[in-house]
Amino acid sequence: MALLNPGPVLRPGRRWRAACCLALGLAFGAGPALPAPPSREYQVKAVFLFNFAQFVDWPPAAFPSAGSPLVIGVLGEDPFGAALDDAVRGETVASRPLAVRRFRRPADIAECHILFVSRPASARLGEVLAALDGRAVLTVGEADDFAARGGMIHFVTDKSRTRLRINLDAARNAGLTLSSKLLRPAEIVATARNAP
Amino acid sequence: MKFSLRDVPIRRKLMGALLLTSVTVMLLMRGSFFTYEYLNFRSNTARQLGVMGRMIAANSTAALAFENEPDAREILSALRVEPQVTAAALYTADGRLFTSFAAPDRASPLPASPGETGFRFTGARLAGFQPVLNDQRRLGTLYLEYDTGPVMRTWLRDSVTIALAVMGVVLVVAYLLARALQRQISAPIVDLARTAQAVSERGDYSVRALPAGGGEIRQLTDAFNQMLTQIEALNRELERRVAARTAELEIANKELEAFSYSVSHDLRAPLRHIDGFAGLLVKADGERVSERGRKYLATIASSARQMGTLIDDLLVFSRMGRSEMTFRDVDLRQLVDEEIRTLQAQNPDRRIRWDIGPLPVVPGDRPMLRQVLVNLLANAVKYTGPRDPAEISVGARPDGAGKVVVHVRDNGVGFDMQYADKLFGVFQRLHRAEEFEGTGIGLANVRRIVSRHGGETWAEAAVGAGATFFFSLPLSRPALS
Repeated sequence: MALLNPGPVLRPGRRWRAACCLALGLAFGAGPALPAPPSREYQVKAVFLFNFAQFVDWPPAAFPSAGSPLVIGVLGEDPFGAALDDAVRGETVASRPLAVRRFRRPADIAECHILFVSRPASARLGEVLAALDGRAVLTVGEADDFAARGGMIHFVTDKSRTRLRINLDAARNAGLTLSSKLLRPAEIVATARNAP
Repeated sequence: MKFSLRDVPIRRKLMGALLLTSVTVMLLMRGSFFTYEYLNFRSNTARQLGVMGRMIAANSTAALAFENEPDAREILSALRVEPQVTAAALYTADGRLFTSFAAPDRASPLPASPGETGFRFTGARLAGFQPVLNDQRRLGTLYLEYDTGPVMRTWLRDSVTIALAVMGVVLVVAYLLARALQRQISAPIVDLARTAQAVSERGDYSVRALPAGGGEIRQLTDAFNQMLTQIEALNRELERRVAARTAELEIANKELEAFSYSVSHDLRAPLRHIDGFAGLLVKADGERVSERGRKYLATIASSARQMGTLIDDLLVFSRMGRSEMTFRDVDLRQLVDEEIRTLQAQNPDRRIRWDIGPLPVVPGDRPMLRQVLVNLLANAVKYTGPRDPAEISVGARPDGAGKVVVHVRDNGVGFDMQYADKLFGVFQRLHRAEEFEGTGIGLANVRRIVSRHGGETWAEAAVGAGATFFFSLPLSRPALS
């Protein structure tokens, strides 16, 4: 069957060009770099983040009130650009509006239901998880072994496509209920013994 | 002969009606059942496909949400176990074809984009779209295509087989039932018809139809038997009356014949006296009677003799009507030859040219047939008196209906055809006695004799151009004289 989904791929040529632009921008010191338009990969991931909201149940205590928004947080450097804001704009899940918040450091993490941990921020994942301990927050990341290290959903790029790897125990421990439908297309992993 | 349902015996008609009714009822029932099953099958299939669609759609939500094409394909491939599902496809929320599968023999391309929700039949193919929803959010669309053809064909074949088998059994049962039941109705009617036929063919009014069953047929049988009784009684009464009348008539006829015979016989004696004494008077006192007186006496004598001849002829005519006929083979040629000799001897000074054709041998009473030929030949000789030579021919030819037609033709004075009917009556004469002598009883005798032999008599003629007399005789002896 023909591959109908072009896939969330950043072709090498394009990546190289992006790197050149960035290098040029830095070399000439022409002010802060313009945020690059979000790649197809991050557009897809932005939509996935929103879709998680549909397949995950939070305990009622996770929300201050019945009408308070479901917050998607981004920790560290934001790779989505406008894609995430575009994905949630005007949407509701279980009659809650959606909101996007960005946090620079783990200590900044305020009210949040889905937290995307950027690749750089994942370096200190232990600190992040510790900061979230006891809160019903769905952690999503793309760094290597994100799920094995205690994250809940790991975006794995497999043959230019984004796949899910889920640490079900981590989600359960946080009081989240993941729909079995969400588990269907995902790979289930457990927290590694030597995880931080 | 044209075949008509009317000519079919009642047994078969009844049987046919019963079987036709059973078959029609069965066909109507099977037909309605068939239609019901067919519609049911379609709506059931559509409903089942809807259920299947909802299940597949519910399973595909995550695959669509997280763009997991292998997972989606795996979900769809579960449908392959159902061979009637010829194609299935998933479309993304923005209408792109996400994944699909199609049966190898399926020719047409899949719809490029999702269409209206719901499953619809196109011929035997049921196809449609089912939205993929998660919490009211549309994640994509499922397309399913289901070929009811093979199932329908199997169902149709099974239904027809069952219908035929059931029909066969029902027909056999219906036939047996019909045979048993129709006998109740038809047997008395057939018996009645047979009795009626016996009555009409043999004229036997003493037979009776067997009273069987009840209701109208019983009434019919009783009425028929009653009519037969009445006819029998009427017949007996009629026969009795006819016999009585016949006896009366026979007595009256005999009395009349005896009377006319005795009258004729008794009349002859005084006539002989008149003739005799007129002769004696001439002989004894002829000289004393004047010439005129002698002439008167001669007229008296000749008139008496003429009256005697008339009475003799009447006696012969009367005998012809009464006497017993003795049938034997009669050679007409021999009779003609004998009569010609007699006539030649009686008329020695006449020149007559005879032309006698071949004549058959016929069954008949020889003296009577002789009388016929005597009269006809004598007439021919008589009415050819003015001709010299006279030409008389006798011949015969078969009429093609078992009779022979004999003719006697002459070249005599003939007669006017408008009197042809009177010719054969008693004392009917077309010529004055002065012209041709005779009593006018000969042809009456001819007609009576020929009629008693079962034949007919007629004549053709023209004034001055001769006459031809015909009579026909059966070539075989009539059954009853």
